[in-house]
Parts: sequence; C-alpha cells; structure tokens
Amino acid sequence: MPFSLRSRWTIPAAGATAVAAALVISPMVADASPSLPPRTAAELLASTTAAADHPFSGTVVETARLGLPDLPMSGAGSTSLSATSLVTGSHTARVWYAGPGRSRIALVGDLAESDVIRNGTDAWTWSSATNTAQHLTLPSETAKAPTPTIDVTPAQAAAKALAAIDPTTTVTVEGTASIAGRSAYELVLAPRDAGSLVAQVRLAIDSVTSTPLRVEVFARGAGKPAFETAFTSITFATPDPAVFAFSPPRGAKVTEQTMGAAPAPGARPDAAKDAAQPTVVGTGWTSVAVIKGVDLSAAGGNAQLSTLLRSAKQVSGSYGTGRVVTTALVSALLLDDGRLLVGAVTPAVLEQAATRAG
Amino acid sequence: MRSQPLRLFRSELRLVFGRRRNQALLAVLSTAPILIGIAVRVSSPGGDGEGPAFLGQITQNGLFLAFTALTVTLPFFLPLSVAVVSGEAIAGEASSGTLRNLLVVPVDRTRLLLVKYASIVVFGLAAALVVWGVGLIVGLLLFPHGAVTLLSGTTVSFANALGRALLVALYVAAMLAGVGAIGAFFSTLTEVPMGAMAATAVLTIISEIVGAVPQVRVIWPYLFTTPWLAFGDLLRSPVPLHAMAIGLLTEGVYIALFLLLAWARLTTKDISS
Repeated sequence: MPFSLRSRWTIPAAGATAVAAALVISPMVADASPSLPPRTAAELLASTTAAADHPFSGTVVETARLGLPDLPMSGAGSTSLSATSLVTGSHTARVWYAGPGRSRIALVGDLAESDVIRNGTDAWTWSSATNTAQHLTLPSETAKAPTPTIDVTPAQAAAKALAAIDPTTTVTVEGTASIAGRSAYELVLAPRDAGSLVAQVRLAIDSVTSTPLRVEVFARGAGKPAFETAFTSITFATPDPAVFAFSPPRGAKVTEQTMGAAPAPGARPDAAKDAAQPTVVGTGWTSVAVIKGVDLSAAGGNAQLSTLLRSAKQVSGSYGTGRVVTTALVSALLLDDGRLLVGAVTPAVLEQAATRAG
Repeated sequence: MRSQPLRLFRSELRLVFGRRRNQALLAVLSTAPILIGIAVRVSSPGGDGEGPAFLGQITQNGLFLAFTALTVTLPFFLPLSVAVVSGEAIAGEASSGTLRNLLVVPVDRTRLLLVKYASIVVFGLAAALVVWGVGLIVGLLLFPHGAVTLLSGTTVSFANALGRALLVALYVAAMLAGVGAIGAFFSTLTEVPMGAMAATAVLTIISEIVGAVPQVRVIWPYLFTTPWLAFGDLLRSPVPLHAMAIGLLTEGVYIALFLLLAWARLTTKDISS
C-alpha cells in the first residue's frame, strides 16, 4: 500500500486546503490594481463625458446597504423585482446596449425576470411573475432618444453623480481597479458640504472606452459603500438585434399606451403614472426633492414601508410637525401636511428646506 | 477482471432500484406533479404570480407542470430521497453484515465506493427524470400544449422548450449528485443507515435555511444548495451560462471533497462485522 492508513486522511485535508486557497487567492488576483499611465482628474472627466457610445452587453450586480430593514426572502418563488425592492439587498441585471434608442435591461430573480426593452419607438416592460406586458409607443422623433429607467447600471448611476458635480466637489483620481476583467481608473468625487450624507462617490472608468464600470457611493463614516453597482462581466460588441425584439407572449396581459407627439426632451415615459411630480429645492449634493400630497395611510399593506415608518422619529419646527427617517445615505421628512422631503442630506438640511419651501 | 466493476455496478443498481423502499420513494415523487396538475386543473384560473414559480403558466401550457414539479420537489423531496439512498450505501451493508462479505471477495474498497456512488448518482438522475417525465405526461394530458413563453417573455417552439426542460432535469440531477456525495461520506461513518440519512437530510435543510437568511449573505456562495435554482436560467433568452457553470463547479468541489473524505474513512476503517 502506498500510504500508511493514517496518512490517507491527509489527502482530503489537502483537497480542502487547495479549495480554501483557491477561494482566497482568486479574488486577490482579480482585485489586483492594474498599472495604467497616469491621468489627471480633468482628463478623465472630459473623456467620460465625451465617451463615444460603445455598444455592449454584460451583467450588473447592484447592492444597496442603506440601513433599511432587511426582510427575509420568501424562499424559492421570490419574485419581488419591483423598483422599490432595489433599495435593499443585492440584485442582478443583464444589460444589452446597442445605442441610445436600443437597449434592454433584464432584472433577474430566482425563476423570474422583469424586462425593460427599448427598440426605436417601441418601449416594452415585461414581468414574468405577473405575466404582464406594457407597450409604450413613442413619437417617431424620439426614436434615438435614450430611455430613462431605474438607475441600475453603472452608466446611469455615474451620469447622476457627474451631474451633481459642483464647485464644492473635490475631484481626484485615486489609483486603478480591475472590474469584470478590465482595467479602470478610479475617479473620486467628494462633496465638501457638511449637509450631505455622501462622503464620496467612486467611479471606476474603463481605461479604453471610458465607460463607467462601477459606481460606489460611500456614506459619511462608513467603510463599505452604501450603494454599489458594478459590471461582473462586460463585452464591448453590438448585441444580437434579436435581443431587442419583443412581442408579447400569448396569454399575457398587455397594456397599450401611446405617448403624445413631441414631448419635452427627456420626458419620462411613465410620467402619466407620476401624478405628484417632485420639485427640487437646492442644488448639487444637498438638493432635496419635495413631493406634495403624500398619503401613507394606504401603505399599511407594504411590510417594508410600515417597518420603516415605525422607526421614524417625531420632529417639529416652524414648518409644522412630521416624522423623519434616516438611513445611511438618504433622509426623508414626512410632514403632517402631506409634504415629503427626500435627499442625500442630514435631517437638519431637510428641516431647513421645509421651512424655506413652506 | 475487467468486467468485474461493471458487474458490481449492475448488481448495485439492481439492489438500489429493486429495494421496495426506493421504489416507494420514486412513486411518492411521481405524485407531486399529479397532485399539482389536478389541483390546478380543478381550481379556477388566475393566481397573479402567487404560489410556486410557473404555477400560473400551467393552464396555458402543460409543459410548465414539469418545471413546477421540479421547483416544488427540489428543496425537500428530491434531496431527501437521495439522502435515503446515499445514507444506506455503506452503512446499510455494514449494519446487515454484508460489507464484510463484499470485502472478502477481491473488491477494492476504492472501487466499491465509486460503484456505490455511481449508483447514487443514477438514482438521483432517475428521481429527477421521474418528476420531470410524470409532470410532462400529466401536463400534456390535462392542459393545452404548444409554443412556450420563457421567463424573458420570448416565445419558443414546443420542441425547443422540451429540450430546455430535459437540460433542467439533468442540471437538477447534477445538483443531487452533491447531496449524494455528502450522504456517501456520512454513510461511511456509521453502521446505522438511518443516522446517515438523517444527517444528510438535516445538513441539506440547514444549508437551505442559512441560504434564506440575508444577514449571512457572505457565505451564500459557498453553500451547496445556493446554485440549485439556477436552472431557471435555462428558461431565459439568451441563456446565461455563468450561474449554472458556478453551480456545477460548486457541486463538483463538494463531490470531490466528500468522496475523498468517504474514501479516507472507508479505506482506513476496521471492518469486523
């Protein structure tokens, strides 16, 4: 016999050690910072805003750690893929992008999928859990306009962060990162305004295409990003056109909607649904959205919302009385007169805004 | 001598599939799609995305009964039946005193373990195919069939969907092979088959519970039950292969480690009874 009997146990032990080593080493290899020629923040910013439209397909993982109550998932059939479910936990989306008027985002759940498909003047939403589709016909002049959707992808989140840059923002380049197998520069935006809950936003910009590959938003005093969205894989090639072709399946409930001709550029296709359009008070990082006529008495059925409201703190001031909810990155002030103020700011900023707006 | 492992494998398969209890397990598994099919058939249509996945689609296409049945049996019934068969594998022989007889004839212990494990894998495959096949037959008898809507909203032909369904059953069988390896190891530790079966089933359930608690999300990727539901990716268009590849790799690592452990235990075990 080649081994003594006792020494046989060393073989499974060696196997376990090899597996553990592989699990420890492979992320270290993947995370190693690539060495890239140095670039200044201004150069990087310019290349990002002027970045040519690169078609791609890839997978995005979005993680939110806003400090909201984490609800246990409802097991195998968990199909909650609504936009509100994006504020807690981690979600995976598959993304295809062929140009401003042709894109598809598939929010992937266990045995479920929600899709937003844009193909020229056709916009579709599809939910496998409810077997429903929504068809929106856009006016022909918007065929090339981009689709505003939920900020799942790094590109969408990065555009928001870049738009918030104001004179009080420090912009620096801090090293490099390797994301989805590509080397990227890390651009760091840090607001100086103490009223902002955001400590910094880190954008990983692809060194070749200048496409944002990862966006991390750090709250003040937090070591882990409160919000993070990153590609786990990305291919820069025009996706198969079949991906954008959608025809509602037999038996699905289909809602048809046609957008009126010539809407304002950037009009949201779901604007009809949003009766209460928010107004924005303030600028940049400390801007606060004010929504009027919010009635949460009907929200009792939403477990997440009622848990959240139970954690609210009573406040009062010259603006009246209300309740304030604070999370790592977002504060919300719900006034008894039905006004809702939301922003990535400290509750004090919300109260000031309420006084001014009132 | 060359045909000897094959002969041992054949006799092992006869033993596994000939056992009344294992036949009863397969029969119980086949009732799952029958029960779901009848329940959906007699109840009124509707169900806005409630209940197990695909339940709403069954009335439109009988093929979905096969998917629903696999989804419903995967968390508990399928792993339980594999736990029973794998827990029996070595411990059953030891408790009835036949392990000694088996080892007296010139059968290498390593070879014995591999043959036992192979028959466990075949039983897992048979269990998945029973659920799949009965689901398919009952579904086609009770409900309409035709083109199939995938999770992505794309419509594919019936033949295409049938191929995807078969791949789902094979993927499920591969996941069950992981349970089988764990069961085979526990089976070498004891002479009480019941203990090995219970330990395997309990470990599977603990792994599933841990996999449902978001606070311990960091360890989810290392659980052997996490990738089980990735078979849903076969019903998307285009099919993403990444999650299923990770799933097969995870089960592969579990199979390798637990078979090595079982081998180390069985080859150093002092068999006196």
